[in-house]
Amino acid sequence: MPKYAMVIDLDRCMGCRACMEACKVENNTPTAHFWMYVFRFEEGHYPNTHVWFLPRPCMHCDNAPCVKVCPVGARYKREDGLVATDWDRCIGCRYCEVACPYGVNFFNWKDPRKNAYLDWDDADLRPRTDGNSPPYRNPDLDRRYGKEGRRTAGGGRLRGVIEKCTFCVHRVERGLKPACVANCPAFALLFGDLEDPASEVSQVLKRKPSFRLLEELGTEPRVYYVGGHPPHPESKPVEEIVARV
Amino acid sequence: MATRTETLPYGVGRFTAGWWLLLAVLAVLVGWGLYAYSRQLAEGLVVTGLRDIGSMAGAAWGLYIAFDIYFVGVSFAGITMAALIRLLRLEELRPVSRMAELLTIVALILAAFSVLPDLGQPVRGIVNLLRYARPQSPFFGTFTLVISGYLFASLVYFYLDGRRDAALLARIPSPLQGFYRLWAAGYRDTPAERERHHRTAFWLAIAIVPLLVTAHSTLGFVFGIQSGRPGWFSTLQAPAFVVMAGVSGIGLLLVIAAVFRHVLGERERLHEGIFRWLGGLLALLVLVYLYFTVAELLTTTYTGHEVEVRLTLALLNGPYAWLFWVSMGALVLALASLVLPYVPSLVPVRVPSFQPAFARAAGLAAAGAGLVLMIYRHSPRLVPVAGAGGPEPEWVGWVLAGLAVVFVLSWFPLFARSVVAAGVAGGLLVNVAAVGKRLLIVVPSQTHGTLLPYGPGSYTPTWVEYSVVAGLFALGTLLYTLFVKVFPIMEVAEER
Repeated sequence: MPKYAMVIDLDRCMGCRACMEACKVENNTPTAHFWMYVFRFEEGHYPNTHVWFLPRPCMHCDNAPCVKVCPVGARYKREDGLVATDWDRCIGCRYCEVACPYGVNFFNWKDPRKNAYLDWDDADLRPRTDGNSPPYRNPDLDRRYGKEGRRTAGGGRLRGVIEKCTFCVHRVERGLKPACVANCPAFALLFGDLEDPASEVSQVLKRKPSFRLLEELGTEPRVYYVGGHPPHPESKPVEEIVARV
Repeated sequence: MATRTETLPYGVGRFTAGWWLLLAVLAVLVGWGLYAYSRQLAEGLVVTGLRDIGSMAGAAWGLYIAFDIYFVGVSFAGITMAALIRLLRLEELRPVSRMAELLTIVALILAAFSVLPDLGQPVRGIVNLLRYARPQSPFFGTFTLVISGYLFASLVYFYLDGRRDAALLARIPSPLQGFYRLWAAGYRDTPAERERHHRTAFWLAIAIVPLLVTAHSTLGFVFGIQSGRPGWFSTLQAPAFVVMAGVSGIGLLLVIAAVFRHVLGERERLHEGIFRWLGGLLALLVLVYLYFTVAELLTTTYTGHEVEVRLTLALLNGPYAWLFWVSMGALVLALASLVLPYVPSLVPVRVPSFQPAFARAAGLAAAGAGLVLMIYRHSPRLVPVAGAGGPEPEWVGWVLAGLAVVFVLSWFPLFARSVVAAGVAGGLLVNVAAVGKRLLIVVPSQTHGTLLPYGPGSYTPTWVEYSVVAGLFALGTLLYTLFVKVFPIMEVAEER
C-alpha cells in the first residue's frame, strides 16, 4: 500500500498561484472555493522586509479531526492516506468544516451550476459552445474510486455538500501527479510515496529539515514543508482574505 | 369533585377569544418561518449569513446551531423538576411538574427541528443518519442520547404522570372523553395501581438524572473536544453546558409558571413558595455559571496564547463586545433581581428601595458610558482594524443595553416586594443571556479563532435565519397553547 504525501518547498514557491488555477480547472470547483490556497506574507519592517508564500492544500491528516467528527462517515481516511469526501453520502452538517484547524473545507452554499465562473448555457456563448459539455467537466470525476468504490473525485457537485482537496484522487489512481503539482512552474510542489525510499518526497525529506502546519495539534498532516518556517504572529498577510459567494 | 363535575378543570376545552387570537398570531408566525425555510430549500444555504471559515471569512455554524443548543438547554428544566419532585419528595412543587415536563418535550422537538435547517441535505440527513451513523462522532450523542433517548424518556414519564388525571377526567362527559379514556388506558386509580405507578416513576426519575447530565455534556463535547478551534477547546465546555441548560430551563419555567398563575388565576396552587424555591435554585446556578465565566476568562487571558487572546479581546472589546456584555449584564441583573426578595429576611433593615428616578439616571449613565466608549473606539485617531465589525450594530447594541438596564433597575422596588415578579424578570433575563452565550460559544471561534493567519471573519444572520428561529419559537408556543386546551396543565388528582 503506498503512503502518499506532499512536500512543499517554500524556498522555491514564488507565489504565482498557478497551483490554485490548475486545481480549479482540473476539479471544476465553484466560485470562491480554493482547495489549494497560497498565503502571501510579509515580515519585518521597511526597508528590511521579506515576502514569502505558503501554499495550503488539504493536509490529509493521519489523525484527521474532520474524519473523527463526521456523523455519517462521508469523510473517511483511505488506506493510501488520502482523506476523501463521499459527496453521495454527505448530509451537509459542516461539522468537518468547524473541526478542521486548517480551513480547507468548502460548502456548496448554492447550486454549483449557478456558482460557476462561466455560464456555459449563456445565450451569447451558445454559438460557440454548441451543446458541447464544458471543457472542465472531466468525465473521470464522476467515477468511483478506491477499494471502497465511493464517489470522491472533483468539485462543483451539488448543493449542500462539503467539498475539499482530494489530492486529485482521479489522477493519483492512474499514476499521475495532482494537478497543482503537475502545474507548478517552480517545482515547489512534490508528490509521491513515502513508503518508497527512492521516491522524490522521501529523498527531499531525508535531505532537508521539514515542518508541518500546526503540528502541535497532533493532527499528523501528510503535507510536509521544507526550506522555510511556519507562519508566526509576525507574518502579516499581504492581502485581506475574503472570497465570498 | 363536587364543583367540578360538569366542567373540565383549568380551562380545558374552553376556547376564549384571546386564545383564538393568540393561536392565529402563532400560526401566522409558523407559516412565515416555513416560507423562509422554503426559500432556503429553493436557493440553498446561500440565503443565510453563513459562509465558509477561512478564505471566505465567515462562520459555517450560526443561528441555527446556537438555537439548537439553546432549545436542548431549555429542555433541562422539565425532567429535572420532575426528577427532583420525585426523588426529594418536594410536594409543594407538584403543581409545576407537568408544565415543566411539557416544556422539556416541546423544547426537544424544537431542538430537533432547528438542526434540520442547518443541514445542506436535510432528507439525506434523516436517511443517512439511520444508515451510516458513527458513534465516534459527538453528533451521534446529540441525535441518540439527547433527541431520541431523552425525548423518549420524557414522553414516557409525561404519559405515566398524566394517566391518573386522564382516568379522573374520563368520568366527566365531554368531547374529549374518548381521548382521556385512551390516555388512561384502563387505569382505575386503585391503591395498588397508584403504588406501582409511583414506583415506576421513581425509578424512571433515577434513570433520567444521569441521562440528563450525559446528554447535556454530549452537546458540550460537540464543541469542547475540537482542539482546532480555540475558544471551544476546553474541559469546562461540558459542565458549563449542563449549568447553562439549568439556568435557561429553570428561568423559562419561572416565566411559564407566572403566566399560568395569571391566566388561570390559580394564586393558591401556584403559590409564592414555588417561585421562591425555583428563584433560589436559579440564582445558585447563575452564580456557578458566572464563576465558570471568570475562570475561563482568566485562563485564556493569562496564558497569552496568541489566538486565545485575540479571541478573548474580540469578545471583551471587539465585534462581539456588545453581545458579551449584554449577556453578562443580563446574568448579573438577573442574579440581583432574584436575590432581592430575600434581602428583607436576611438583613434586619428595610431595603433601600431604588427611586425610579435614580434608576433611570443610573441607566442613562450606563448608556452614556457605552456611547462614550463607542465614540472613543471609532474615533479617527485610532487605526481602524480590518474586519472589526461595522460600527452601527454596536452603537445600537450599547444604546439598547443601556436602556434595558434603566428599564430593569426601575422595576427593582417591585422585585423587593414580589417574589413572582422577581422570578419572571430573572427568568427572562437569564434567557436573554442564554441566547447570547450560545451565540458567543458558536460564532466567535469560527470568525476569530482560525489558527492559520486568515484574518478576522464576520457573521450576520439574514432574515431567513431570524424568520426560521421565530417560527420555531412560535411553533413551541403553539404546541403549548394547544395542549393546555386538551389536558389540564396542573394535576387535578389531589383536589378530590
